[in-house]
Amino acid sequence: MTADPHAPIETAAAEPDYFDVLQQAIRELLVEKGLIEADEVRAMIETLDAHQPALGSALVARAWTDEAFKERLLADGTAAIEEFGIENYDGTKLIVLEQTPEEHNLVVCTLCSCYPRPVLGLPPDWYKSRPYRARAVREPRVLLKEFGTDVPEDVTIRVHDSNANMRYLVLPMRPAGTDGMTERELAGLVTRDTMIGVTTPRLP
Amino acid sequence: MTTKRDLVVQPAHDLGGLPAGPLVRSDHELTPFEKNCHALLNVLSRHKLVNTEEKRRGVEDLGAQIIGELTYYERWAVSASKVLNEKGVITSAELGAKMNEIRTRLREAA
Repeated sequence: MTADPHAPIETAAAEPDYFDVLQQAIRELLVEKGLIEADEVRAMIETLDAHQPALGSALVARAWTDEAFKERLLADGTAAIEEFGIENYDGTKLIVLEQTPEEHNLVVCTLCSCYPRPVLGLPPDWYKSRPYRARAVREPRVLLKEFGTDVPEDVTIRVHDSNANMRYLVLPMRPAGTDGMTERELAGLVTRDTMIGVTTPRLP
Repeated sequence: MTTKRDLVVQPAHDLGGLPAGPLVRSDHELTPFEKNCHALLNVLSRHKLVNTEEKRRGVEDLGAQIIGELTYYERWAVSASKVLNEKGVITSAELGAKMNEIRTRLREAA
């Protein structure tokens, strides 16, 4: 139905959203009390915007091309990402899990949404959804099939449940036939989902 | 069927291993409200005002009905307000007055 062209012009603005007002109120009160800086939330948004899955992709490509770096990454993920120049802005401990021909790793947070944000940015919605959280620990092989990932029966699947202080990043296997590729080209093969463990890198 | 025991030992957020439907590979760009909430909670954590565990506990305490109705970041905002209130960092009266002040400002700006 077309709107009546003679209807009075709507002048009343929409009522401000309760939750948006709530978050603004918390921020302003804490600034007034001197507990946080006036500019801090805006600066944090910039930090969030700067941390995208491309950081993780570059990190994986470096590990594929520099064996010594890969060893450091597996030994102490937090120290290695800082060495690589990624700010570990949320202060969590990062554990890097290597995919091997014998073992496939998968990351979940069954209780909520913990995720390796410094290296992958913010989690996709499905990572926070009930089906993913509930089923990853019960039937990972079936769940992976829904991502189009077939893990052979003789490969062990290990599911890692994240928590507030401990986050996991999957180091996928470098695909065969990539010997001539540069580090940058390799990074292009490493998608976010391969670093959660729900898919594996493919040649284009 | 959910028993009274289940309600106690397996609260609403504890989903690991429960039956659930097919995976939907959903995602969306965060709205300005969502980004503001995320950044605010990160700042609260940095200043040890509300850490990740406290935030999660604040969400869990909302109960199954509110958890079910509110969006992810709406839960975060409410959790932060409640935890800050419990810790005596801000009072309900201050928060209510500030929210009224912001509403008035937004209406005038509209």
